[in-house]
Amino acid sequence: MVLVSAARDYVNRMLQDISGMKVLILDSQTVSIVSVVYSQSELLQKEVFLVELVDSISKSKESMSHLKAVYFLRPTLENIQHLRRQLANPRFGESHLFFSNMLKDTQIHILADSDEQEVVQQVQEYYADFVAIDPYHFTLNIPSNHMYMLPAVVDPPGLQQFCDRIVDGISTVFLALKRRPVIRYQRTSDIAKRIAQETSKLMYQQESGLFDFRRTEISPLLLIVDRRDDPVTPLLNQWTYQAMVHELIGIHDNKVDLSSTGKLPKDQQEVVLSSEQDAFFKANMYENFGDIGMSIKRMVDDFQQVAKSNQNIQTIEDMAKFVDSYPEYRKMHGNVSKHVTLVTEMSKIVGERRLMLISEREQDLACNGGQVAAFEAVANLLNNESVSDIDRLHLVMLYALRYEKESPVQLMQLFNKLASQSPKYKPGLVQFLLKQAGVDKRTGDLYGNRDLLNIARNMARGLKGVENVYTQHQPLLFQTMESIIKGRLRDVDYPFVGNHFQQGRPQDVVIFIVGGTTYEESRSVALQNASNSGTRFILGGSVVLNSKRFLKDLEEAQRIAKSSTNVV
Amino acid sequence: MATRNRTLIFRKYRDALKSVRVPTSSSPSTSSVGGVGGGGPVIELASTSLLNPNRKYAPLSTEDPGAFTVGLPPAWVDVSEEIAANVQRARMKMVELAKAHAKALMPSFGDGKEDQRTIEGLTQEITGLLRKSEKQLKRLAAAGPSEDSNVRKNVQRSLATDLQNLSMELRKKQSTYLKRLRQQNEGQDGDDLEMNLNGGRSIIDDDNLDDMVFNEHQMAKLKKSEAFTVEREREIQQASKCSWPFVVESVNELAQIMKDLSVLVIDQGTIVDRIDYNIQNVATTVEEGLKQLQKAERTQKRGGMVMCATVLVIMCAVMLILLILKTILF
Repeated sequence: MVLVSAARDYVNRMLQDISGMKVLILDSQTVSIVSVVYSQSELLQKEVFLVELVDSISKSKESMSHLKAVYFLRPTLENIQHLRRQLANPRFGESHLFFSNMLKDTQIHILADSDEQEVVQQVQEYYADFVAIDPYHFTLNIPSNHMYMLPAVVDPPGLQQFCDRIVDGISTVFLALKRRPVIRYQRTSDIAKRIAQETSKLMYQQESGLFDFRRTEISPLLLIVDRRDDPVTPLLNQWTYQAMVHELIGIHDNKVDLSSTGKLPKDQQEVVLSSEQDAFFKANMYENFGDIGMSIKRMVDDFQQVAKSNQNIQTIEDMAKFVDSYPEYRKMHGNVSKHVTLVTEMSKIVGERRLMLISEREQDLACNGGQVAAFEAVANLLNNESVSDIDRLHLVMLYALRYEKESPVQLMQLFNKLASQSPKYKPGLVQFLLKQAGVDKRTGDLYGNRDLLNIARNMARGLKGVENVYTQHQPLLFQTMESIIKGRLRDVDYPFVGNHFQQGRPQDVVIFIVGGTTYEESRSVALQNASNSGTRFILGGSVVLNSKRFLKDLEEAQRIAKSSTNVV
Repeated sequence: MATRNRTLIFRKYRDALKSVRVPTSSSPSTSSVGGVGGGGPVIELASTSLLNPNRKYAPLSTEDPGAFTVGLPPAWVDVSEEIAANVQRARMKMVELAKAHAKALMPSFGDGKEDQRTIEGLTQEITGLLRKSEKQLKRLAAAGPSEDSNVRKNVQRSLATDLQNLSMELRKKQSTYLKRLRQQNEGQDGDDLEMNLNGGRSIIDDDNLDDMVFNEHQMAKLKKSEAFTVEREREIQQASKCSWPFVVESVNELAQIMKDLSVLVIDQGTIVDRIDYNIQNVATTVEEGLKQLQKAERTQKRGGMVMCATVLVIMCAVMLILLILKTILF
């Protein structure tokens, strides 16, 4: 509830003291921030009768002085310019300005200069600069996410913008929680180090007054890690509900766009999957596909019973009861059809792409050893006609990440086979991935084969057998969280920034993955939090990845890297 | 939850820049530090006395006098205020109705017909208010995709949600009242019967000397209790009969209201309830509207029907002329 309730509180505070009819003006980023935590009907209750984007509102010239304008924007250059124009020619009665992050003095100056008609009643900073998609998971929806893979010399201003956005987002998470953390970062990642240092500078030097909260015994921990330390998780196919929907169809700001999946009625083309608003989803979002099928069947049966009783209207009493329960019936109907559509669509994709077979191989590559068997299996699947190009690419990448050093000849064979069979494959992509996230670059023990304890654990697991072959993979994040709980996160691998120091185990931990999180990892975090271990984890990332997005970032980074080396 | 107020710095800059810009003007600067401007509080207070304090539809803009032209709100705002006032009135009447229900359910001497009448009167008033509000709600709809129409649509939705909630509440109150009423009557009936039987039995036990007299006594008692039972049954039926047609009528009315409202009310948790979806939709509805207009124009120009009708009329005229010619010539 933590992140979602913090964002909701901010929006509530914005709207509650302003009476009368209001118009809420947002920018393209704050739309996401507000939409995931506040619904249209709640806005209507607060008398907000119009919601507009700040760039489109300048186009109209209608004067609506009976409305009061509430602006909630990020303090960017563009937004300040838009505001300037609107304050110079105000269309609304009053203006109340709320910014999601810290304003610079020059920006306030510009705004004050343009407010000749004195319509601005208040200027406030309400620190909700993150998209709270789940209670313990936030994202920043950064479009230029591929930046983290490029060295700093390629595009210094672009990289600076990327880092600034992340620092802004992380700092507002802590402002919303009213804590100031101790910061650690992954040693092998330059960008993680840079972000950690800039965040520390902001919190402890530049705006230390703002962050000076009541100190508790043990400060919370902010851990900044790099996506490239665990490149396996985004590449795997998922089998738990939320992760699977994102992998196969795609979830953006808790909305699923089904318009590409064929003929659906207009109001079903886009659906909402939010754990806050959908009780069935909340109960089943981390369950695996088989169990979901059963739960949905149960839900459909319940619904059919209700529908049957509704058809059996004989007395006046029945009629009255039906009229009373109609809104609930309608809501149930909508919910049932939404989940049934999603599961049907996913089953179709699983069948088309033979995902059961492929995913079994993928999980093997990620979790179990045996290079020879793995090579044969991957080679077989590459030869199989019904396997799609994208899945072939996944398999080769997963094989390469694991057996990078073991048999270069066979690896080359796989590369060649892949290049010859997949026409759209951009050559060198797998090699680029290895260069970015190869075994030399990684800190964490991704395959559990670096230290003795992990090897022993793996062997024990192999002997015991797994409950479900398809969900046996645990993201690296899980091990990191365990180490933090036991207080055994190695200083060598994850040093502190500057002279920070932490004694004892932290109770609140925010882990930020530069390059993006996955829903498998957020599931891991949620399950960890539910186990009441005394430590509360919050996960955040620059985007929420699925394999498609991860590969897109990789390709984009490869293209830019190639063009920059050409120039040089 | 940390926030930071930059209003003071902002005002400082604004005043400083203003004095630089227009050094001779003596326009009054805002004195209050709070959110509302100078003339505001007066207007706010006036409107709050009329409406429910939780729903301030303060129509006039609260500006510094003389700062810029104060625009009057459009006419539909009056309609929305009227509906809001009706909703508020209905809510107050519901509270009264709840009290009347409670009073009628309390055991009392007398036949409670007066209570019934007040309850009926109140329920009819409330249903009437809801129906009137619903009709007025339709007037709020606007044509054409403009910003104003979006505002109107949203105001409509918000009021529709209120109306729907009220009608559901009314239904629930009614059904619980009727249920309890029936329970009460049945209970009373059972008690009366028992008492009578016990009374009868005790007399039988005590007096067993004179059978004839006793039988008569017994018969009289039984007859009396029978009559009593019949009367009570009739009373229940009357009470139900008074209520039942009324119940049917009000159920019908409310069903109609709810059907109409359900088109307007947003289902929570669906895509229509998302702010970003509604923003996107504004853009698409404008395009859709344009396409529809163009299509309509084209269809009208082709006007297949019009052509058909014209051809038929011409043919009728030709036939008529031929007929006249025939009669003239022959």
